[in-house]
Amino acid sequence: MNLAKADTHPAWCGGCGNFGILKAFNQAVEQAGIDTRTLVLVSGIGQAAKFPHYPAKPANVFNGLHGRALPAATGIKLANHSLRVIVTSGDGDMYGEGGNHFVQAVRRNISVACFVHNNQVYGLTKGQASPTSEVGFQTKLQVHGVIAGAFNPLAIAIIEDASFVARSFSGDVEHLTQMMIEAMKVEGFALLDILQPCVSFNRVNTFKWYKDRVRRIDDGHDPADRAAALELAFKWGGEIPIGVLYRGRRRSFESQLGVLGQGALVDQCARAQAE
Amino acid sequence: MDISIRVAGEAGQGVQSAGELLVRAFAGMGLHVFAIKSYMSRIRGGLNWFDVRIADRELFAGKGAADLLVALTPAALEVLRDQTAGGLILFDGEQADGAAAIPFTQAAKQIGSAVMANSVAAGAVFAVLGYDPQVLCELLRRQYRSKGDEVAEANAACALRGAELAGPHAGRYKAPQPAGAPASVCAGAEAIGLAAATAGVKFVTGYPMTPGTATLQYLAAMADKYGIVVEQAEDEIAAINMVCGAAYAGVPAMTATSGGGFALMAEGLSLAGICELPAVIVIAQRPGPATGLPTRTAQQDLLFALHAGHGEFARAVYAPGTHAECYELTRLALQTAHRFQTPAIVLTDQFLQDAEKNIPPLDDSPRPIDRCIVQAAEGYLRYAVTEDGVSPRAIPGGDAPVVVDSDEHGPDGHLTEDLQIHMDQQDKRMRKLRGLTADARPPSLHGPADAPALLICWGSTYGPCREAVDAMNTVGEPAAMLHFSQVWPLNAEAARAAIGRRDRLIVVEGNATGQFASMLRAAGLIGSAESCLRYDGLPFNADQIVSHVRH
Repeated sequence: MNLAKADTHPAWCGGCGNFGILKAFNQAVEQAGIDTRTLVLVSGIGQAAKFPHYPAKPANVFNGLHGRALPAATGIKLANHSLRVIVTSGDGDMYGEGGNHFVQAVRRNISVACFVHNNQVYGLTKGQASPTSEVGFQTKLQVHGVIAGAFNPLAIAIIEDASFVARSFSGDVEHLTQMMIEAMKVEGFALLDILQPCVSFNRVNTFKWYKDRVRRIDDGHDPADRAAALELAFKWGGEIPIGVLYRGRRRSFESQLGVLGQGALVDQCARAQAE
Repeated sequence: MDISIRVAGEAGQGVQSAGELLVRAFAGMGLHVFAIKSYMSRIRGGLNWFDVRIADRELFAGKGAADLLVALTPAALEVLRDQTAGGLILFDGEQADGAAAIPFTQAAKQIGSAVMANSVAAGAVFAVLGYDPQVLCELLRRQYRSKGDEVAEANAACALRGAELAGPHAGRYKAPQPAGAPASVCAGAEAIGLAAATAGVKFVTGYPMTPGTATLQYLAAMADKYGIVVEQAEDEIAAINMVCGAAYAGVPAMTATSGGGFALMAEGLSLAGICELPAVIVIAQRPGPATGLPTRTAQQDLLFALHAGHGEFARAVYAPGTHAECYELTRLALQTAHRFQTPAIVLTDQFLQDAEKNIPPLDDSPRPIDRCIVQAAEGYLRYAVTEDGVSPRAIPGGDAPVVVDSDEHGPDGHLTEDLQIHMDQQDKRMRKLRGLTADARPPSLHGPADAPALLICWGSTYGPCREAVDAMNTVGEPAAMLHFSQVWPLNAEAARAAIGRRDRLIVVEGNATGQFASMLRAAGLIGSAESCLRYDGLPFNADQIVSHVRH
């Protein structure tokens, strides 16, 4: 059976927030003049995790296992730190199945830009709760509503002192493009949590719901102020701040490895093999 | 002529240091040494022992019972007295029934400090065996030189004092004479680590789990010398996924664990299978299920290593039998993984990881394996369909993107649900098994080719079987052994020829269900065969195997 045609176009529903994210990404790559030959897009599994297959300018792709994008990205970055490594995956992938990897990647402060498509629901498995679903959110699996509290990725990343913590919205492509460009400049771990509607399975947090609530963070906010950043990270409900919440000052993980002073590991291999 | 000395006491009491001291001293004299460790899963207390066996011929295993026991605690004396076959027992104390009481600790305190009790005990052992304690003193002086002359001299004085205190028992044993054996000592865990470092492994990650940790720590110690990044992962799932990432980016990468950690790696192993990545995993077995006996030995994960990971993909599983094979097969596993772009496993166990033996020095010069990498040019297809199933592998950073996917994918690496493409890719991946089979190592036959009894073994059981077969042939009971150092895929042709027609086939392995025997049966290599099994957590010894063959 030839299903090949179905594979070459995004497998997303019409109106999915992922389209806005893809548009912003294509613009960010263009505007920042990113060399896609040295760009690696890493993802796990889910609708968002199919993202690396679709950019306008093809890049290197490691579409790995559900929840395991960050360890794979860490291995890639350590093997060749001259590559630009971007993880792009969903909230279930990054905060649920891969939750511990997320915390540990922030702790390491490895130079990986992590774009999380956060629609507060599981899409590909058809509508179960995600770690960021709100309390009371009802699904076919959480029939009486979600009991566990919603995971706060921004607060966690700030507490664990990531180099860059930001939030944007798939419906504000201009803002999202800027956030992506900022995240890609960072040395150390960069978290960009991207709010997006799921038109098929999240009837609560819709496009309009987000649109009505997101507010760009004032220019007056100092991202070096950790307490102020945390305060923003806890704002949710009537108003949801988007923009750069926090910039940590820790050195990146890979910059502290003496062995890498001799060049990227992959280059060291090539040199040794040539000798 | 061989003697087994057992040093026993609590964890943290210096059993390890005393044992190591004897191993180095004996090896330095040119005796053949084989040492094994038996320890409990705790930091202090309990009962640990360290068996140091010496001989004037090459040794391959430990013995069940000790000829000479050095008991550092009353518990050691009580528990191990029966396993000391009529030999002498040296007890650290003033008085003990049926043992020679020598106050090691008190003597050490008088000369320097209590921590030097090991040197007193070693001096006593030397005297009892009729060896010149000056040899030991020289070693102690060298060993402690960095801590200052005072410490070095005090340790030497302790050794002499020990020899003096053991005076009444001096020369009690007719000890083996030096036989020109190599002075360099290594453990299986180190041989695996050195092989990885010299083969060009640049990225090592893992989560600490006995008995795999020893290899990780050895590599961490060698990291600066060989230029390796060693990272402790948050769990084994992260470890295997990091290995896959590093392998994708073009760096030989490896992890080491035990059965429980490997269980967590199963999905990642499958990822390496479909993404066709050269991931290398060292599994050092210990008894399960679950946490089981964390510090003991077993060969219970054979079928697990063969079948772990969902779906079907090709892999190679090596099982070293000796220290030299630990080195040789780790290198081979890395080369195989890169040639065939598929996972390779080195299956070892606590016994061989911790066993120390003096062998000719292993080559420590860097000799990187061929990573089998091509440059990506325009139109590059990562998963081009080829006759041998191996597609030219490029790494990211070249002129064309390298796309890999855990979903089924087309030749370009992008995910697909086209069922014909899936079949083409699945068939392509499985074709690697042909090449792996063609390359499979033949089992090695030892002993008379026409012996009516054939012992069949794999992995670390080589040593005890080797000693059993040699012992039987020496007394005119012909027996041979067939050892498999690669357990998947099997070299069936060579195995069939070596097995031939025998009166008796005895499969010797460290598990309760005869896993290797069932594999051989499934491969049609054996029909009815006996199994000689051990699964109490301790390694086989020759006596046990000989007694099975005789009865």
